[in-house]
Amino acid sequence: MMNWMNIELILLILMPILTAVMLCFSSESNHKINITITLTSISLELYFITALLVSNFAAVKNASFFLQYTIGRAESPFVINFALDNLSLFFSLIVTAAVFLIVIFSVKYVEDRANQFFALFFLVLAAIQGSILTADLFTLYLFIEAITIFTTPLIAFKKNETTTRAALQYLFYGLIGGVFFFISIILIYFELGTLRMAEVAAAFVNIEPGMQLTIIIFFLLALLIKLGIFPIHFWLPRAHSACPAPISALLSGVLLKVYLYIFMRIFWTVISFTILSRFQLHHFILELALFSSLVGHLFALQSDNLKKMLAYSSIGHIGMILAVLLLNTKAAFYGAILHIIAHLLMKSALFLSTGYLLQTTLSYQISDLKGVGHKNRSVFVAFIIVCLATIGMPPLFGFVSKWYVLLAFLESQHYFGAFVVGAGSLIALIYYLRYISQAYLTFKGSETVSIWQENLSFKEFFSSFNAMKAVIYLFTFLIIFFGFSFKFFSMPIDTAIFELLNPQKYIDLVLGG
Amino acid sequence: MTGLLKKILIIVVLLFTTLALYLNFILMPEYQGLKTGVSNYIIQSALRDTGSLNLITAVLYDYRAFDSLGESTVIFGAVSGIVLILSRKMLPVSSKGLSFIVKRTLGIITPFIGLFGLYVISHGHLSPGGGFQGGVILAAISIIFSIVYGSAFDYRRYSPQKKTILETGGALTFLTIGLAGLFFEGAFLHNLNFLTAEPGTLLSAGSIPYINIGVGFKVGAGLAIIFYSMIQKTFEEDY
Repeated sequence: MMNWMNIELILLILMPILTAVMLCFSSESNHKINITITLTSISLELYFITALLVSNFAAVKNASFFLQYTIGRAESPFVINFALDNLSLFFSLIVTAAVFLIVIFSVKYVEDRANQFFALFFLVLAAIQGSILTADLFTLYLFIEAITIFTTPLIAFKKNETTTRAALQYLFYGLIGGVFFFISIILIYFELGTLRMAEVAAAFVNIEPGMQLTIIIFFLLALLIKLGIFPIHFWLPRAHSACPAPISALLSGVLLKVYLYIFMRIFWTVISFTILSRFQLHHFILELALFSSLVGHLFALQSDNLKKMLAYSSIGHIGMILAVLLLNTKAAFYGAILHIIAHLLMKSALFLSTGYLLQTTLSYQISDLKGVGHKNRSVFVAFIIVCLATIGMPPLFGFVSKWYVLLAFLESQHYFGAFVVGAGSLIALIYYLRYISQAYLTFKGSETVSIWQENLSFKEFFSSFNAMKAVIYLFTFLIIFFGFSFKFFSMPIDTAIFELLNPQKYIDLVLGG
Repeated sequence: MTGLLKKILIIVVLLFTTLALYLNFILMPEYQGLKTGVSNYIIQSALRDTGSLNLITAVLYDYRAFDSLGESTVIFGAVSGIVLILSRKMLPVSSKGLSFIVKRTLGIITPFIGLFGLYVISHGHLSPGGGFQGGVILAAISIIFSIVYGSAFDYRRYSPQKKTILETGGALTFLTIGLAGLFFEGAFLHNLNFLTAEPGTLLSAGSIPYINIGVGFKVGAGLAIIFYSMIQKTFEEDY
């Protein structure tokens, strides 16, 4: 009767919700208790997911890892499943780790209205975990909507006209995407009478082709809007640049990856890729994503606002990842997932360090950047390293992932894709250098302390040390470290690719027990 | 000129979309009842499974209770979001209210509205209604008060802190019952079988009435909070 098996899956979603409720309950004044609750909860979350990995390490290694938790009456036809296979474990792990670092950063960064901020932040985390873990299309829809609704007030956190406008636009397009997703779900329910992903996956071939096409098109529309691919991308830079730095990192670094995961889950597990390629839609989406990537980089070039530039560069990277995924080869998946990790690290680090560097400036305009490089030297050096990684400088992590993406394009003889990867890097070089040179433009008075004096005397280094700097340095260290030891990821990525290429395993295991 | 061009372009795109949708929805099969007979299953066995006479409530708080938990979390998040965005805007608010007749009538009617709201919440498993609906009725009391007596009156009586406590209390009730299901029945949000009684009595259907009460207070307090953060509160000078 007692079913304690795999209870962690449900706890991963419930913990953040409980934390959010507790944060709303406690008053703003006892600051210490609130911080303790926040940090304990996010550490527990990270502990749960790592414990899942460690205790099942052997199963993960030979790609037979699968956990499932069922809510509802087992004998009824509409139970809710939560399933964790190698792919979702991998995404859940990297997302939780990134969110953990972002939370540590924002404990210092956000002082005003911190309770409400963290309550909403944890609700977003719960929705993210839910949408990764769920194996039910309706619950997935619910969590996607929840992500949109919970992030909107966070975008409008600084209450002024720009942020409110950006937030409303974000809400509008997010809800439109949700409606498209919902139409697809309704159509599937009418056709098959079930919304469990595994049952849908097993029976999707039986739907007549016209209906299949409609369902696929609506899913594609929804996800392309959420991912900010070219024709409907304009909400993304506004939304991602209006919010406070940790939220920018969350949106650009983490959330876009979650939507990429949902894309993979739907188009490889639920609707198998052969059906997508039967309609030749994948060619169209591939070219569109590549074009979107190029457009993103070009817009980043003309942008005079640092955060907007970073957001446009996100469009460029996400377009590239989506395009390389749609090549549907093993090398392509390897490059795509490696670049997902790299982009997660790099964009989070970039947004967090802009938040730290420009705390004192009024705006993120390029003219306000003058002399920033002299004020916080070591953080700015970290910023430059991450910029170089994003461009794709050889020893860094960004280079490795871009290299594998390039190899994947060349292997499938898709030369336009290879061109976009190279051109994107070149354009990125120009726009990042523009900002870096601006930051070193003026000397502020008599600068006598050199960077060596500043950092090599440990006393000064530690007296100016705080959590925000630590998080930025940690991200930078990880980017350099994984640049040399990217083989570290080859086992988890290979097992994740195994899940993508063998959806039958997922279907059998969910339906079997 | 460009405006006209834009309009023509929009109309063309819309026409194309309509055509594409039309062509595809023609393919929709005629409604033959759902193929796997989900509705038949509910009609036949929901009463036996859950002990709730209201089958919609049975689906909401038993079969798909987790989705309802998600929905109420969405309301919770929306409320905190609206409070976050809209708070601290200073708008002058009247505390004069309407005429004496209206105020007296409201005084007579209010207990009945409250009773009706509580009835809808507590009989959610027996008759149409439930936590969400009853909560809206309860929130209406607070809203009517602020219209009739001026917003400062209700603000003084039930402060936002009290409402927040009610709201989080409701959310905690839902979560606690879910965890109780985990401890006693072995699955999260499983119906608590030891609470079941004769179907049709007030305290039957396991944990459903208690979830209804939690959701009712949560929704009621949440809507009232949304209303109050929209009208706002510089009442010092005119109360």
